[in-house]
Amino acid sequence: MRNLLVRLAGHLVRALVMIWVVATFTFFLIRLMPGDPVAAQYEKLVQQGMSPDAARNATRLTYGFLPTGSGWDQYVHYLWRLLHFDFGRSTQTLGVNASAEVLTGAKWTIGLVLAGILISFALGTVLGVIAAIRRSSGVGDALTITGSLFHAIPQFVMALVLITVFTVIWPVFPTDGNVDILVDPGFNGPYVASLVSHASLPALAYALSMFGSYLLTMRSSVISVLGDDFVLAAELRGLTRTMRLRYIARNALLPLFTIFALTIGFMFGGAVFIEKAFNYPGMGITLINSIGHRDYSTMNATFLLITAAVIVANIVADLLYTAIDPRVRRGGEAVA
Amino acid sequence: MTAATQATTSTAAAAPPAVTIRDLTIVYRTPAGELPAVSGVDLDLPPGTITGLVGESGSGKSTLALSLLGAVQRPGRIAAGSIHVDGLGNLVELSAKSLQEARGGEIGYVFQAAQNSLNPLKTVGKQLLDLGRSHGVRDRTALVRSAKELLAGMGLDAARVLDSYQHELSGGMRQRVGIMFALVLNAHVLVLDEPTTALDMISQANVLKIVRAVHTERGLTTLLVTHDIGVVAEVAERIAVMYGGVVVEQGETADVLRAPKHPYARALINAIPRVSGDLSAARPLPGRPPTLGTIPTRGCVFRERCAVYAERQLPACVAEQPPLAPVADGSGRLVACHAVAVEDQQATGETA
Repeated sequence: MRNLLVRLAGHLVRALVMIWVVATFTFFLIRLMPGDPVAAQYEKLVQQGMSPDAARNATRLTYGFLPTGSGWDQYVHYLWRLLHFDFGRSTQTLGVNASAEVLTGAKWTIGLVLAGILISFALGTVLGVIAAIRRSSGVGDALTITGSLFHAIPQFVMALVLITVFTVIWPVFPTDGNVDILVDPGFNGPYVASLVSHASLPALAYALSMFGSYLLTMRSSVISVLGDDFVLAAELRGLTRTMRLRYIARNALLPLFTIFALTIGFMFGGAVFIEKAFNYPGMGITLINSIGHRDYSTMNATFLLITAAVIVANIVADLLYTAIDPRVRRGGEAVA
Repeated sequence: MTAATQATTSTAAAAPPAVTIRDLTIVYRTPAGELPAVSGVDLDLPPGTITGLVGESGSGKSTLALSLLGAVQRPGRIAAGSIHVDGLGNLVELSAKSLQEARGGEIGYVFQAAQNSLNPLKTVGKQLLDLGRSHGVRDRTALVRSAKELLAGMGLDAARVLDSYQHELSGGMRQRVGIMFALVLNAHVLVLDEPTTALDMISQANVLKIVRAVHTERGLTTLLVTHDIGVVAEVAERIAVMYGGVVVEQGETADVLRAPKHPYARALINAIPRVSGDLSAARPLPGRPPTLGTIPTRGCVFRERCAVYAERQLPACVAEQPPLAPVADGSGRLVACHAVAVEDQQATGETA
């Protein structure tokens, strides 16, 4: 238990440092882009006859941050507000907090990403086990080739193919949006059905572009576990087939936790492409729009949220790993 | 060899063997076709004895050991012959279900010490319960109790070991845990595959002492597979020497070690350096052990490295593999060598 707390504390410190680094990088990178909407607004107010002080205050009230001052001042101001979980106000949708803007998108993205992860993980691990056990037959080869192929297809290509097949050639799914605007929102049949049918294709795009790497990793992991001595030992000890399969599966799943955490980052990155392709109003779309409008606050908030998601996923994967692998959990306490 | 072991051997010789292997052939499927790893082996394990099975790497000894549990791994398969185990019948004909129950039930198998024979993610105790569940053991308390007795008998802190993971145990401890797993369901046949390889000398001696002790205590029939003749000399009453998938000599350990008859057994024993005396007196066997693809298919498997063949060039050595036959001295020793058979004939001819 003490061990776990120490581990967790270490994770938190590292997470904070990482968030600070990302916050700093994005702050300056964003401001290196040509075009500065806040400065433009400030200039406009000054030209309209406002005194520089009044214009400054008005802009600050509108956007929530300093329009002028040195880069350093702005940076310190930004960090200070960040410490208070104040992400500033959106410059494209006046009066809306950037965090609210991002969170509205995030809930849709998280839903898609989770669905994509679950489908791809289930599909990838099961097919990976089959590919490993039948590795010397045609079935195994076919699965491996399929896995490599899907692994190699970029997410946006996958999205376009799905759109072509399921909305044009065989129109069974809606093309865009997250829900049919004609149905009553709420927890009712048609609304849920509409949510699911709108989410199906984007989630499938995630799943299809991800399951290949799970399949390939699981396959090689199972093959390597099958060669382990304890598998033969379990057979020679007369353990039932089910019991042996359980031994193999649990040992083979371990390496997958590592790529699991990496995958989550990849999926949030993919949100930009997939949501754009399906016009799904998630974080990816929010990000694209905020870049278009030079909406500094929203961009910053989005990047920070993605960073936080990846960090949290890594921490969770590490803690799960600790729970599942006694060699990590009890490494230091060998029996004398 | 103590007087006590001599006694067990002589009483055991009268009883029917606990394990009878007849004409056993095990082949592996390779790109070059099915190649035999074990060909036409006859081997008896008398009840209550320890038989040492020695041979170089690739001699087929481990494959033979696995076949005693009906667990020859693919791409290998038993092509011919039978393995009768007392109380089980012919293993070759058993159903998968009965085989699974026999493994760990009637026949215990102990892995090489160097191998990790435990699931790294589960404690020894949990794996013990898995074993019980697989074998339909109802009384889990009794199972844990007998495991603890076995472990304590081998000098381990039983409660602590049951609560340990594999990585928390030393090599010698793992080996004792392996023996516990093999015997906890009261197996009466015990197969040990290289039980002392990769252990330090002191653990090695301890493990051998334990093997000896549990063997006597439980009246087991034990097959000990090793490449270390010293180990066999220490614990086994009987020895079988394998070469190229064939048993070439078989007999009482003391007799075989004192006066090996088969040229291979002789070469093997001559290759052991003595503790006292000149190191150069140990003569390595020239050539290299055959692999699956290089075992001669016609004639004697040992011909190419055989000093006797090099000298006498008997035509029979080229024509066929000599059968494992009793030698004329009446010691019950079996040797598969044309030259030995010819000498025996000449000796009996002279006396007649």
